[in-house]
Amino acid sequence: MLATLPGRAARGLVFGAEALAAALSPSTYTAPVRALAARQLCEAAWDVLPGFVAACAVLGALVVRVIDSTARDFGLAGYSLDLYARLVVLELVPLFVALLVSVRSGAAMGTEVALLRVQGVLDGGNDPLRAELLPRGIGVAAAVLSLTAIGCLVALLVAYVGLYGFSPWGHDAYARVIGRVFAPAVMAGFALKVAFFAVAVAVVPVAASVGGPRAMDSVPDAAPRGLVGIFVLLALAEAFSIALLYA
Amino acid sequence: MPDPALDPSLRAGPKALAVLVASALIAAAFVGYVLYARGFFERTQRLVLVAEDGAGVTVGMDLTFSGFPVGRVQKIELAGDGKARIEIDVPEKDAKWLRASSVFTLERSLVGGARLRAFTGDLEDKPLPEGAVRPVLRGDATEELPGLIAAMKRLLENLEHMTAADSNLNASFASVKTLTERMGGPGGALAGILGSEENARKVITALDRANATLASLEKVSARLDGMLGKADEGVFGAGGVLEETRKTVTQLNAALAQARESLKKADAILADAQKVSASAREATTDLGALRAEVEASLRRVSALIDEINRKWPFARDTEVKLP
Repeated sequence: MLATLPGRAARGLVFGAEALAAALSPSTYTAPVRALAARQLCEAAWDVLPGFVAACAVLGALVVRVIDSTARDFGLAGYSLDLYARLVVLELVPLFVALLVSVRSGAAMGTEVALLRVQGVLDGGNDPLRAELLPRGIGVAAAVLSLTAIGCLVALLVAYVGLYGFSPWGHDAYARVIGRVFAPAVMAGFALKVAFFAVAVAVVPVAASVGGPRAMDSVPDAAPRGLVGIFVLLALAEAFSIALLYA
Repeated sequence: MPDPALDPSLRAGPKALAVLVASALIAAAFVGYVLYARGFFERTQRLVLVAEDGAGVTVGMDLTFSGFPVGRVQKIELAGDGKARIEIDVPEKDAKWLRASSVFTLERSLVGGARLRAFTGDLEDKPLPEGAVRPVLRGDATEELPGLIAAMKRLLENLEHMTAADSNLNASFASVKTLTERMGGPGGALAGILGSEENARKVITALDRANATLASLEKVSARLDGMLGKADEGVFGAGGVLEETRKTVTQLNAALAQARESLKKADAILADAQKVSASAREATTDLGALRAEVEASLRRVSALIDEINRKWPFARDTEVKLP
């Protein structure tokens, strides 16, 4: 198993690069592809949007309350928003979104690819993959980006209300902290990280299923295999980003 | 042709588009907001602070005035003279709080980061010019701690030495205790000072003797006073030396008058003698009487002078020069 790990990683990397190249190629976006991608985006993002916004609001409210009360106990209330923005907006929300989308859509994609493989649909090359799975992958990646943007916005709004209430007079202090935390380098790193999460969530389950055993009884293992791959990649990416930002 | 109600891709389009557009708008708006929050759209003026040590200063940290941020650190660099050069952008709307006479401090507290603060004593002063370079005063609580701890350690050591069982202070207190005990005894403070009651008794005896001596000296003084009074009486009183002298002088005057009379007579007789020199015999009778009278006068004068000499013992020149 360990001996095959580098080979699988290399195959996954090549597959991911091909998928990314195809996704970035304008010629890919034909009407059926757009329709399929839109459907996938709807399934992955629109359908869960109310629950996701509510979850983000609750998570944000809880964390901001915990951070603010703890910081006040230590006389460091001025650092509450700083800490919250770094913890929730920069780290937790993107990770939460990537996990949510990968569990809801990535696992299904992996299972579907495993079934197609068992049925021999993929024997004729990557065209079926391109026709069927690429739009779905694009939809999943777009869902990760969209939900991250919406989740961060909700978290920032909740933080303002949690710290200053509905008074407009906290805005100057709020803006200063946000401006200080989101320095250009931090913003760029954040964007890169979220893009990486999106690609990983879209590609890893498919790559794991394509490289997996070709047997009917191994189909149920395809989804967990893909999820484990995503978790490992997300954890590595998160650790790398934190090390880069704070080390 | 697929049924639009059944084909999910046809219904998903607008929703997906809405999600994508909303996300793009959120991302763009957030980038714009961060730029605004970082003062990208504000007109600013540059202020350069020069600090001995730039530790704790970070890009993006605030410069505060009365607790409100009025500027933001944009750049920190090590200047050619080895000092930290902190470049701060001050929004023009907040520049009014900084004047030419403003003072800037960099404070590091035990908890939390460093703080750059501005103090303006005179808000009517000239405005701070663009690109002004100002020194930063340091107020570092942590830097003074080692010195403070060292001083406290020395203080505690001294205190420990002072309060030790065999310390000088304890010995002094023991001595004071002994002293006060002695002072509380029969000999009182004198016994405390002199060390024992015996010594105190000696001092008291000495004092008694001195008192007795003084009393006897007082008597002697009274007697001396009496003697002086008598001497005074003897010299200046009735029948005293002065009175006698006055009398003697009066007598002397009378004797001298007599002598003058006698001498006048002698002079007249000598004139007569000159006239009657022809008859010497007659003249010799008169000369004999004259001589007896002159001698008598001389004897009186001599007796008088002797008496004066007797009563006036300090006179040295006892010789009487006759004319």
